[in-house]
Amino acid sequence: MNQLIDFVLVTVVLFSIGIYGLVVKRNAIRMIFSIEIIANAANLNLIAFSRHVHNVEGQVFALFSIAIAAAEVAVALGIIIIAYRLYKEIDVHEFRSLKG
Amino acid sequence: MEFFSTPLLVTVILGAVGLAIPIIDALKKERGDNNRLYCGISVVAIILVIGIIIFRILFGESIPTIEFGKSMLADDMFGSFFAITLLIVSIMVTASSWDYMKNKTNPAAYYSLILLSSIGMILIAYSTDLVMLLVAWELMSIPTYALAAFSKRDPISNEAAIKYFLFGALSSAILVLAIGLVYGVTGTTNIGEAIVSMVNVQKDLIPVTLLALALFIAGFGFKMGLVPFHMWLPDAYEGAPTTIGALLAAGTKKAGFAAAIRVIVLATFVLHLDWATALAVIAVFTMTLGNLGALVQKSVPRILAYSSIAQAGYIMIGLALAPYSDQALGGSLFHIINHAVMKSAAFIAVAAVAITLASYSIEKYRGLAKRMPLTAIALSISLLALAGVPPLNGFWSKLVLFNAAIVTGPEIWWGPYLAIAGVLNSALSLGYYAWIMRKMYMEESPDTTKVKEPRAILAVLIFSVIFMVGFGIWHAPILDFATNSVPNLSQLTAVLPSFPTR
Repeated sequence: MNQLIDFVLVTVVLFSIGIYGLVVKRNAIRMIFSIEIIANAANLNLIAFSRHVHNVEGQVFALFSIAIAAAEVAVALGIIIIAYRLYKEIDVHEFRSLKG
Repeated sequence: MEFFSTPLLVTVILGAVGLAIPIIDALKKERGDNNRLYCGISVVAIILVIGIIIFRILFGESIPTIEFGKSMLADDMFGSFFAITLLIVSIMVTASSWDYMKNKTNPAAYYSLILLSSIGMILIAYSTDLVMLLVAWELMSIPTYALAAFSKRDPISNEAAIKYFLFGALSSAILVLAIGLVYGVTGTTNIGEAIVSMVNVQKDLIPVTLLALALFIAGFGFKMGLVPFHMWLPDAYEGAPTTIGALLAAGTKKAGFAAAIRVIVLATFVLHLDWATALAVIAVFTMTLGNLGALVQKSVPRILAYSSIAQAGYIMIGLALAPYSDQALGGSLFHIINHAVMKSAAFIAVAAVAITLASYSIEKYRGLAKRMPLTAIALSISLLALAGVPPLNGFWSKLVLFNAAIVTGPEIWWGPYLAIAGVLNSALSLGYYAWIMRKMYMEESPDTTKVKEPRAILAVLIFSVIFMVGFGIWHAPILDFATNSVPNLSQLTAVLPSFPTR
């Protein structure tokens, strides 16, 4: 488990799990988790490549990306809390007043 | 890069004011309607920044557009062009919020978020490094998620924000993945160095670079509203507070185009030119589906949202033809600044109607010409400009774009077809624009009492009407500015050995 290809395979698996979750799950928090899994797959990718090409830019970038993802989730959870107050429900099937 | 560069000054001034507003709000003793104070502060800050940028352009402090910068940010004309475009949008949004945010909660957070989001948009246009690009991208996006959900008691606003967030967060995760692949192949995150070393990439790594390019198109495409990635867009623009709809349609979307020109257009040169064909197909689908979607809508912000999808298609014509024509990108930039003003004017006019009549439905627009004459005139002019009726500014930018598409005929066979698709779509779009105008002018409303039109919004609308008509009659200065800001693609020959010959 030390080759670059192993890490990339894990990345691909994580990415697929994330896309599966985003498509199938209908709970808003689960969908955010799925997006987080995709983002973490991308971070893992960056770190693996950083080790492979022997410079630290990739790891620095991964740190930036993790911090940004944390800020994103904070905003998202705020929005979902408001959604729960309004609908008493966080199932995205209920959010369908806008269509057409 | 010198220490006193334009992006640094923009970040410091707007950031300081954006952070100061919530602090002032926390320190103020008396509660009350502070909306006007914060609105005034934000407008003054934005005017100051526009002044600084214009000053630096006039005195030659901003260098001519460069394709590849060595550092994180390049203080060049391309960035300054987008900075002025995006600041015009944010000044229109903040000034019209004088009326729109009246008697609403948390004005301090609202203006602060608009200013912080503008910094992000501007830094995207200046950035020449993928790390900076992603950080600026998120600085633009995260405040807009909160702004879309700003009406806390309104379920529609919340629903729009959830949809917008899910797609926006997915797009930034995809962007991180794309940047990771580019970094893995080339070992650098600088856009210029990455593209140059992609030329000499090993044969078996070419599929990875192509995958990275596809992921970039998807990631930026979500914000630009290109067609396979557009499904969140009408919901988000309709549900968000209307002034924020203007910021999303005219601001974040244009910043997406800035990023796309910095990354995708330059990368298409290095990789295969077939990607230009893919962009052309996306352009045709985007404008056609946008216009067809708009034809069947009942709510005016939703019509405008679909029309902004269609306009993104016109702008994509220039991006697709960039490898073949010198004028194409200039036309795109020209259409970007025009569309930014036209679309925010239309959304702000809708905001005026939403304030006074409390409805978005097109049925409420019946007889609007009698009830709110000035708003109706401004809305009609911006709709005509969007449709591209001469002599308004939208006509000239479409003319430049379609002309660029026609003259590429000898070099690329599908070039003229893009122009045909664009002209047919403009005719189609006149259908729903004229429908709104017919409702306003030809039909009678049951209630013909005259309504007081909000004054700050009127001022913004008068400014935009002057812009649309003035630069429609005398379009040369803006066209020159746009053409000067285009990256000089023919100079890429020196850098790139495999540059395709014209």
